[in-house]
Amino acid sequence: MTKSNNGSIMTIENLQAKIGDKNILKGLNLELEPGKVHAIMGPNGAGKSTLSKALVGHYDVEITGGDIIYKGKSIIDMDAEERALEGIFLSFQHPVEIPGVNNAYFLRTALNAKRKHEGKEELNAAEFLRLMKSHLEMLGMKSDMISRSLNEGFSGGEKKRNEILQMLILEPEVIILDEIDSGLDIDALRAVSEGINKMKDGKRSFLVITHYSRILDYIEPDYIHVLKDGRIIKTAGPELVAQLEEHGYDAIEEA
Amino acid sequence: MKLSSLKDLQPNELAASLNVKGREVLLERLATLGLPSKKSEAYRYFDVESLLDTEYKLLSYMPKTIEVGEKIIIENGIVVSAPKGLRIYYEPCEMIDPEHFDPMYYLGHLLSGHTIKIEIDGDVELDLEHHLTQSDALINYRIVLYNQSNRHATLYENFVADDIQNTLLLYGYDMHIARDSTLNVVKLQTMKNENYDMIASHKINVAKQANALLKTFDLGGDKGLQLLKIDLDTHAHVEAGHLLYLNKESKRGMVSQIIHKGEYSTSKQEAKNILDGHARGIFDALIRVEETAKFTKAQQNSKAILLHEEAYMVAKPQLEIYIDELEASHGATTGQLDEKQLFYLQSRGISYLEARKMLVIAFANTLIETVKDARHQERIKAAFEEVFYATKHNA
Repeated sequence: MTKSNNGSIMTIENLQAKIGDKNILKGLNLELEPGKVHAIMGPNGAGKSTLSKALVGHYDVEITGGDIIYKGKSIIDMDAEERALEGIFLSFQHPVEIPGVNNAYFLRTALNAKRKHEGKEELNAAEFLRLMKSHLEMLGMKSDMISRSLNEGFSGGEKKRNEILQMLILEPEVIILDEIDSGLDIDALRAVSEGINKMKDGKRSFLVITHYSRILDYIEPDYIHVLKDGRIIKTAGPELVAQLEEHGYDAIEEA
Repeated sequence: MKLSSLKDLQPNELAASLNVKGREVLLERLATLGLPSKKSEAYRYFDVESLLDTEYKLLSYMPKTIEVGEKIIIENGIVVSAPKGLRIYYEPCEMIDPEHFDPMYYLGHLLSGHTIKIEIDGDVELDLEHHLTQSDALINYRIVLYNQSNRHATLYENFVADDIQNTLLLYGYDMHIARDSTLNVVKLQTMKNENYDMIASHKINVAKQANALLKTFDLGGDKGLQLLKIDLDTHAHVEAGHLLYLNKESKRGMVSQIIHKGEYSTSKQEAKNILDGHARGIFDALIRVEETAKFTKAQQNSKAILLHEEAYMVAKPQLEIYIDELEASHGATTGQLDEKQLFYLQSRGISYLEARKMLVIAFANTLIETVKDARHQERIKAAFEEVFYATKHNA
């Protein structure tokens, strides 16, 4: 069903969700504007990761109410793969290791699935490798990573760079970054941020989920949303970061 | 002949039925162990009685002139081709294990008047192809294999069956891996349904400071059981990897005993099993550490993925230890595909069915990629994918 979305690329309406028996999202409202960087900040247990999982159709999360409208359509009944093909991408906080699945083969399969979905011709191995190598260099990734098993034996930083590599290649329209800065040293953080900033084109939306403001020094947000107890309790401009740093989440009152 | 006609016979009766003279030790062992049945420990999960009750024709094994070829080809138990210079000939088997757990090991020897003896010289790679062309037959032969000290040799073993039916292949090796040497054996066997069944009973002696590297890739259908006994001398090492991918009504697997006899001997055994359809996989593996084998290191692990609710895995890793000074571990898991991994692939736009296939192939590849030779690795991957993609997979 097509719904009005007031110019936003994604509208989250009164979203309620649980994991197991625990209600976590309790009526969350959020609009993602095209071309904008939205940062979600909040204390532990507020529901940040549940939100990211709900957006990509993770099997852990059961939606119990509300809706997620993406490009005018409800996506809550869509499979994870359909959401991905439509342009929603989650950079995982803890990317899984998959021994035996070659990184390059995996990414080419994913890219070609998307190209097929979009009615484009699939890339052959040589074309794909050229594309991949250009991104590897920018992210400071070693070329042998493309022939290794997906995330197997990768350091924390390598895994996060690999997530960004996937993002650069798949060119999604809504990019959810779940704790992208966790476990990164300064060099890795800079490389990852550079990759993210490269994707800014005035159309794509970013949802940056983070505990700490460090990543926001590198990826300038347009909006800061404070998530607490399953709901967005405050939305403001980047100036809110300093206030949160100084006073903490407890000082934020629901608007 | 029905092999079940040998059931409960005394040694002298067995000798008469099998037309064997001498060989009292073997006859005694076969009579003591008795023909396998569903009550036999090693055959409990394998439908052996239906094979023993089948009428098979017996073949004659008259040696032929061995043609020079790129690989060793054994056709219905007769060597028809071998590389130039390879020492391969027929002779009675001199060293038969008097303590093998498998009665079919002794029956195989008793049915074979002579064995095919192969002496591997130097650091070579050999291809051995078993070629089966006879339907309704009991194809029985034994291979005795020796390698040289201080040498690293590799044997790639493959099976080709014509359009045959209702045949039983009963074969096996007696391998003697020489001191300070390495013998690498890579076996690939794709069995089709209703083509032929197999019981392969092996004995491997690994001498001091020698390495036995064994990889078995058993794919497809039908019934096939490998029974393997390995004796390890001081500082000897065995590394055994087994991949099983079964479909339909297949019953296949490995029953093994690795016996640590010498000090500082080491063993590592890993089984990866993927079961589809109504298949039953078997990994019944014992590691025994004898009193003489102080400072042994032994590892054993079986992992199984069930792709169908009717598929069934029998995993019985066992340790039998008679000393304190050792490191040993064993374990077995049986489950479905990892849902976190499936979700990760789906979250990148890969369909559920394709993601499932990728994970199954990945699981298999972790073992296939331990075959270092690229040509043979590709050959095994292609064989796996051919069988895997030919199987109907439900979403």
